[in-house]
Amino acid sequence: MVNLSVISTIIVQAAMISALYALIAIGFTLIFGVGGVLNLAHGATITMGAFSAYYAGQFGLGVPGAVLASVTIPALFAGVLYLGMVKRLEDEPIMVMITTLVVSVVIEQAIVVFEGTTSRALPPLIQGQFSIAGSTFQNLLGAMFVVSWLLIGLLFLFVNYTKTGKGILAVSMSHKGASLVGIKSSRINLITWIIAGAFAGIAGLFLGSWLTADFAMGQAQLVLSFSIVVVGGIGSIRGSVIGAYLIGFLEIATTNLVSSSLQGLAPLVVLVVVLLVKPEGLFGREFTE
Amino acid sequence: MVNDGSSSGAGSANGSKEIGDEYNGNKSKLNRRRFIQAAGVGAAATGFAGCLGGGPGESSEGIPSEVTLGVLAPAPENNPIGAAIANSAELAAQQINNSDELLGAADNVTASIKNTEESPSTGRQRYRELTLDEGAHMTTGVFTSEVLLQLMDPIAQQKTVHMTTGAASPKASNQVNENYEKYKYHFRTGPVNGYHLGQNMVDFLEAKSSDLGWESVALLVENYEWTNPVQKAIDDHIGDLDVDVVMEERYASGTSNFGPVYDSVEESGADAAFVAMAHTGTPAIVQWAEDQRPFEFGGIHVLSQLPAYYGMTNGACRYTITQNTATPQSDLTDKTMPYVESYNEAYDAYPVYTGYITFDAIMQWATVATERGTVNADEVVTGLEESSYTGTAGSLDYYGPDHEYAHDIKYNFSADSRPDEGVNPVFQQWQETDGSGSQEVLHPSYVSTTDYTAPPWV
Repeated sequence: MVNLSVISTIIVQAAMISALYALIAIGFTLIFGVGGVLNLAHGATITMGAFSAYYAGQFGLGVPGAVLASVTIPALFAGVLYLGMVKRLEDEPIMVMITTLVVSVVIEQAIVVFEGTTSRALPPLIQGQFSIAGSTFQNLLGAMFVVSWLLIGLLFLFVNYTKTGKGILAVSMSHKGASLVGIKSSRINLITWIIAGAFAGIAGLFLGSWLTADFAMGQAQLVLSFSIVVVGGIGSIRGSVIGAYLIGFLEIATTNLVSSSLQGLAPLVVLVVVLLVKPEGLFGREFTE
Repeated sequence: MVNDGSSSGAGSANGSKEIGDEYNGNKSKLNRRRFIQAAGVGAAATGFAGCLGGGPGESSEGIPSEVTLGVLAPAPENNPIGAAIANSAELAAQQINNSDELLGAADNVTASIKNTEESPSTGRQRYRELTLDEGAHMTTGVFTSEVLLQLMDPIAQQKTVHMTTGAASPKASNQVNENYEKYKYHFRTGPVNGYHLGQNMVDFLEAKSSDLGWESVALLVENYEWTNPVQKAIDDHIGDLDVDVVMEERYASGTSNFGPVYDSVEESGADAAFVAMAHTGTPAIVQWAEDQRPFEFGGIHVLSQLPAYYGMTNGACRYTITQNTATPQSDLTDKTMPYVESYNEAYDAYPVYTGYITFDAIMQWATVATERGTVNADEVVTGLEESSYTGTAGSLDYYGPDHEYAHDIKYNFSADSRPDEGVNPVFQQWQETDGSGSQEVLHPSYVSTTDYTAPPWV
């Protein structure tokens, strides 16, 4: 029988996991919405965030160093990836997919070479636990929930109320129109890639702290990102957040009420169902021309 | 440093030194026609090896001046399990070279190390390089059962003694039992095979459950090939114990979020999670410690067997128990500590269990070959079958051809006294001493270094 305690546990757990999923997916949808290209290195960028924090811990830089490294290194990497490769291929989305896929494989293999295939534990970000309705949860997951919403809020404010943010909106609506009013789309794209990299890095930090880090951890996150943005509507930030919560709740409910061996199945089922029933997603594509 | 194998290779074991050298590109004047001829002869020889009785097993007599030990290790550059295999093989080769007695007739013994990448196809390719190109006189290593099972036929074809030092699948020894003449060149020096790993878990629980205070357990087994025989043995024997199995879950391979699994364990009210984990071990152990789950944790946790694991998990493995072949704290035989110290001196680290076993395998092979005065594979097979060799992990004795686990190391559980025959794996607990972790031994009592300490949050 499903009692009240189980339901409250599912709700709290799902809210926290979904917040992480939103962090994971936002960068992916941002790049597609603004640049019109799919960044298949997104999962590897998440992995990079986790391993940046791991190395910071190994070098004795503590939690502040780990947080800083997990944000700056993936953000810089994403910026360099855009300037070095994607910018030259922007008009060829297939080439961007192939290139970013290759970069993703290179990053994973580099981790295998230097660190092997064994999972690594990150320095504990926040220790301790808290209780809600008789169920106990890690403080880390609570912090993840707060940070996720804080960052989503800041991104919303940035996009809607700053000049650069409005530039991002303009480029996402129309490259030509943005150019006509003097907005340099390449600069906006660069900023978008850096923001997406930073979001992926933070997602990697939390994911790695929670579940440990390994070379292939980004693969499942890339699939998850796909599912979330397809459910929400490709290119829609709001849709991605809602998609993340939909998939998060479905996954937690499945693993708690049906079987824990069904982890990872929910995003794929939802992906297939949405593609068949409502291929444009819940919120369409807000920023398309 | 780990040898990548490119510099060694006797190539003379089956009279193919010239061919081997040319094929390796070691000779600069490579005549294309001769290469094609040689390749053709080599391919034909390989293809007919099984029916014509060729290969080193029958053509090698005596102890050659150059002896090559072929070593198959998973990613020896960065995988601690592979590194221990590679380093211990190098150490064994060095000690044989320094010994006047072992293989005294040989001028030089070299270990040629190849990376299997934990892939069956790569493993087969590397095995062929070792035996065909480099003429290895014996091969050892192999960590992954999937790789080993794909090597059984090449081993039979090459008729070269292979001593497995990591993979635990009993299917290999079943093959030896069912078709002895074909597969007799395979021995498993360790660890004990998968079925005995499971039986060992149950034996330990029977002997120590009252000391541990475990009246009920939740059995958590990861869904990989290696756990099939482990789970079968547990299912066969655990019912005989006074310990209740209140939950049993064979969770999906690749599981990274253990929250739902641990929630179920909590609901079951088990005193401990009794586990068989390798690939999924780190997320499982880190989440158990960070969540401070109200149950204890023990069984076979392969990664906890690594001496460096405490650092790798920031101490999350503290209080957990795992079975192990040996630890730097377990003085199993008079050879254990000298080996651990030599290893530490040479590599500034402590060996993983595959290291003890690989060292033992090579030393036992060298001892048998020396006693028989030959590296001839058939002679060595007979010698190994009759051998009872004291290694670092215990007494190395193998089951005979008629046993269902033919040529596997004998498993001999004993709580309080050293078994005369076979090995008796240890059970260790990670404890903290002076801020760093150590693998203290709980069982067996004759090498025990500590009493069990339960996690303070349980």
